[in-house]
Amino acid sequence: MKSWISFLLPNDEYKEKRMLYFFAEGGIILFLSLIIMIICNGFFNLDIETALLVSIGIFLFYVSGRYIISGIEYTDIATEHTYKKEIKHIFSRTCSFVVIFMLLYLMVDGVPSNKDEWITIIGLLLSVSLLWFFTSYLSLKRSYNKNKQLL
Amino acid sequence: MKNNVKITRIKLSITQQRLAQRVGVTRQTIGLIEKGEYNPSLQLCVSIAKELNKTLDELFWEVEL
Repeated sequence: MKSWISFLLPNDEYKEKRMLYFFAEGGIILFLSLIIMIICNGFFNLDIETALLVSIGIFLFYVSGRYIISGIEYTDIATEHTYKKEIKHIFSRTCSFVVIFMLLYLMVDGVPSNKDEWITIIGLLLSVSLLWFFTSYLSLKRSYNKNKQLL
Repeated sequence: MKNNVKITRIKLSITQQRLAQRVGVTRQTIGLIEKGEYNPSLQLCVSIAKELNKTLDELFWEVEL
């Protein structure tokens, strides 16, 4: 079946079907949340920026949350050995991200001039990398548990 | 959907990984099909049947397990 959304979908047919469900569910939840926001707008004033950010957040949070929890990301991780190896891989990927981000930041924005700027950049970097590591780890754990049962 | 994919695959000494690679899906998908937790498309059923040298009837027709 040809569709412009195909470039976002994996080649495996089971994953493809699951992803389509997640996108469709996310779309319906987004639609309902927009209706709720229109109704709420009659009672209190929602500024456009907040409404747009909330809408984008709802869709992204729902679709990525469902993807992580479904355990379909790491399809080949089914043994203890590959599981531990993948954890190390996730850890090194996160560390690489931290280093590359920090270097790019220093190159583009220059060295932070005061303590507050350092705290802001390090805080942001730590939050993003911890979130990335935690979501990857959760996805791996769910995939591993699912794959173990299918052996 | 109950099927004979797992039994046939084991008789032919083919791993899930190898079968998955040959039919162009992931190992997880093969595992789900074998457990009857995912109904594959007709195209995938045919690919699996060809790889295992069986007919669709032999692999996927309703069976008493």
